[in-house]
Amino acid sequence: MSAPSPAPLLEARAITVRFGGLEAVGNLDMAIARNAIHGLIGPNGAGKTTVLNVLTGFISPTEGQLVFDGAEIGGLGVNGFARRGLARTFQNIRLFGAMTVLESVLVGAHQRFSANALSLVFARRSARAAERAMIARAYELLEFVGLGADVADRVATTLSYGHQRRVEIARALISSPKLLLLDEPLAGMNAVEKAEIADLVRQVRAQGIAVLLIEHDMQVVRRLCDHLTVLEYGRKLADGPPEQVLADPAVQAAYLGRAR
Amino acid sequence: MDYLGQLLANGLVLGAIYALAAVAFTLVYGVVRLVNFAFGELFMLGAFLTASLMLPEVRLIGMVVPMPGFSLPVAAAGAILLTGALGVLVDRIAYRPLRNAPRLAPLITSIAVSVVLQSLAQTVWGAEELRFPEFHLATLPPVVLFDSIYLSVMDLVVMATALAAMLGLSAFIARSSLGRAMRASAEDQMAATLVGIPVNRVVAAAFAIGSGFAALAGLLYAQTYGFAHSSMGFLPGLKALTAAVLGGIGSIPGAALGGLILGLVEALGSGYLPNGTAWKDAISFVLLVGLLYLRPQGLLGKPELNSAGRGSLLGGASEFGAGWLRAAFAKVDGGLARAAAAGPRAALALLAVAILVGLLVPSDYWLRILTMVVIYGMLASGLNVIVGFAGLLDLGFVAFWAVGSYLTSILFVLVLKDQFGVAPADIWWLLYLNLPLAGLLAAGFAVILGTPTLRLRGDYLAIMTLGFGEIVRVVAINWMDLTNGPMGIRGIPAPNLFGIALGSPRAQFFFALALAVLVVFAIARLVRSYVGRAWVAIREDEEAAEAMGVPTARYKLYAYAASGFVGGFVGVFYAHTQQYISPLNFSLFENILLLMLVVLGGLGTFIGPFIGALIWIVFLQLALDLPFVQAYPETRFALLGIVLIVLMVFRPQGLAASARVALTMPGTRPAKAKEAA
Ligand SMILES: Nc1ncnc2c1ncn2[C@@H]1O[C@H](COP(=O)(O)OP(=O)(O)O)[C@@H](O)[C@H]1O
Ligand SMILES: [Mg+2]
Repeated sequence: MSAPSPAPLLEARAITVRFGGLEAVGNLDMAIARNAIHGLIGPNGAGKTTVLNVLTGFISPTEGQLVFDGAEIGGLGVNGFARRGLARTFQNIRLFGAMTVLESVLVGAHQRFSANALSLVFARRSARAAERAMIARAYELLEFVGLGADVADRVATTLSYGHQRRVEIARALISSPKLLLLDEPLAGMNAVEKAEIADLVRQVRAQGIAVLLIEHDMQVVRRLCDHLTVLEYGRKLADGPPEQVLADPAVQAAYLGRAR
Repeated sequence: MDYLGQLLANGLVLGAIYALAAVAFTLVYGVVRLVNFAFGELFMLGAFLTASLMLPEVRLIGMVVPMPGFSLPVAAAGAILLTGALGVLVDRIAYRPLRNAPRLAPLITSIAVSVVLQSLAQTVWGAEELRFPEFHLATLPPVVLFDSIYLSVMDLVVMATALAAMLGLSAFIARSSLGRAMRASAEDQMAATLVGIPVNRVVAAAFAIGSGFAALAGLLYAQTYGFAHSSMGFLPGLKALTAAVLGGIGSIPGAALGGLILGLVEALGSGYLPNGTAWKDAISFVLLVGLLYLRPQGLLGKPELNSAGRGSLLGGASEFGAGWLRAAFAKVDGGLARAAAAGPRAALALLAVAILVGLLVPSDYWLRILTMVVIYGMLASGLNVIVGFAGLLDLGFVAFWAVGSYLTSILFVLVLKDQFGVAPADIWWLLYLNLPLAGLLAAGFAVILGTPTLRLRGDYLAIMTLGFGEIVRVVAINWMDLTNGPMGIRGIPAPNLFGIALGSPRAQFFFALALAVLVVFAIARLVRSYVGRAWVAIREDEEAAEAMGVPTARYKLYAYAASGFVGGFVGVFYAHTQQYISPLNFSLFENILLLMLVVLGGLGTFIGPFIGALIWIVFLQLALDLPFVQAYPETRFALLGIVLIVLMVFRPQGLAASARVALTMPGTRPAKAKEAA
């Protein structure tokens, strides 16, 4: 049904994930187009986070194949996925304790640094230049995600929930990923914050970064996403443009079922 | 064949004892996921209490105290009850407050408890061996099997007792409601809590039974070898832990199996390997290390036990403690945090103070002590890289220190002086070559030792590194040609610069200070960069660090290498100031001491290791002025242990919780940002 136009950025083929006896994801095919905001929705426990974990290398699928940017990926280790250009946030925020906002964001830029131990110990000019450049970039990104420079030196975990989410997004973006995967970034936010983050997601896409978004708020999803994949019990229930998918009786039933 | 039979019989006796002690580790681990290092000391107490109860009188703290002179079974029962009660008490005081703390806190606490118990035992019973009174069964002639295998009646009693205790425990766990609750907790603690099992009672029962088993194992061991000694629990404790891991920690049949296998392997190894008795301790540790590498869940265990909760190293603020105590900690913390925030200027001021002290202190005696402070501060700084910044509990750090000390001593004394007759003063420059050389060698060593540990976390990591440290020590003792064995190496020359001997205490102090500046500077430059950020990220949340593109395995190895480099580097200087080294200098206790110093001063800070070393070593000397301490010097170690337990319970985040170090390169922040800061 989905138009096989230019090669997708990320293609998941026949992915199955089993945890012991439980099949969390079953035979899932999914393609994320370049420059898309791709929504992944479904009731709680449908397997959305598991899919995101597969796409970022956290979980090796029991079966199936991943093709990212034209090459098969798999067995790379989580950091290998990140180096290829897949950056993520977590459903339960996972910032580094005891680090400031600036330092946390800089961890995301890890792959951009290459100075060796001696250059660091002698603080060679090249090492300092790289550090300076990344710090400048971190400040840009903090502004980009809507945080002022004044939070840079606060310990990240002491910020408000909404601000921590933004730090997580900045930390993911500083590696200049090709695909940003966000696991329920709007959860627990008020309408104003939701609108801000939705706007932020659009700006990310405007920079040429595709976004995979897990979200429950159908209003936001409808307006924000170009494409939706709906999961239920680990299986793909529907896939396509938002209007079409959300009108699908099976999808509506799944959501009514959840509300029951 | 007869020889084999005799070895098997000996192995079974030893295995039965290991199995009993392994049950203690396994039982408690199953219920609270804690490796209680203190079981080795409860094992020792079981032996002492039994021997004391059997004697008509014993000397306790130098006083002759009348004792009931019970027979072995009665005395054993009494000792087991007392030790069991002590185990419960220890849990109540030291472990229960830490039930929800991150793993490192209870682990360090259990190490501290073992230091306390061992020092107290030495204070009470003295440093000498206590001869184990003879039991009348022991005087019977040995039983001869197949004409050639000799087993004393007591050997049979040991095996029968172990078997009965194991069967009794199995029946208890299968039948009684408390036992079933224990098993349920071991299988799935969450579920056990949910179905309303009284967790605290179950845990207390596990500690009581576990400690009783440890005491039983200890008294049987002491009975077999004929004496009790305050350090007798150390090696058997480690071996019982090995046995528990071998069988699959948490599994009781596993502990029995692991104990038997270990006992047999040890007996056969010491019987058949060349010079086997000398190497038999290494056999167990090689087995331990290999096992953790290939199958960390052990023979009968489940793999999930290798996971460690993420989050900070020692946990947030404690909810225990009186107001004034918290206020006092907060004040210390605030002061240290301000000092840390002051950055390079504070460091320079501190250096100036150190130089002044070095110039003004008149007494050679105190200069030597201050030199030790600087040396221990440097070593603790090296350990701090791996434990404090990267968050990996390394109990094998002394090995790197040993590599440095031995490298320079072997070159100077055993090779150049003894083989080629070169006078050390003629090759004074070799010391300066050895410093970086030993650093690199130890770093390489650290990477080799670190590689197999990469998959391990938390407790298993600690146990494996401990195994490595012990292997290095056993090698140092037994590889006579290389290290001179237990005799050590004498006559290591004092440092010398262009023919000027730097032997005076003042010169050595300044030498140490110069090295410390280098060490702290290099560590600080590495930590304040993307490397340090990667380390701290690994410490705080390894998975999230990976997701940010940090190759965590490689950065753990970098942390090992950096830590090893410092160990080797400082080790060279250490050998030249001491002028004599032996394997005793590099015991696990030294590693534990360094760990305690880092924790005391503040994990993950630059100054913390030196503060810890200063407090400890100065205290160590000052306390010697007290007559009681002169008579019982071990009480100082007991006190250190108690301070650490108090710290862990009331202040798990360490003294300097807010004294976080900056993780960006100095002078790279934009001017605008500096204003905002
Ligand atoms: N590591 C795991 N081990 C076992 N089961 C898991 C694991 N992760 C997720 N599951 C199970 O897989 C199913 C899907 O979970 P998840 O992907 O988190 O759903 P969602 O994000 O859509 O709410 C759930 O039933 C969950 O309990
Ligand atoms: Mg989820």
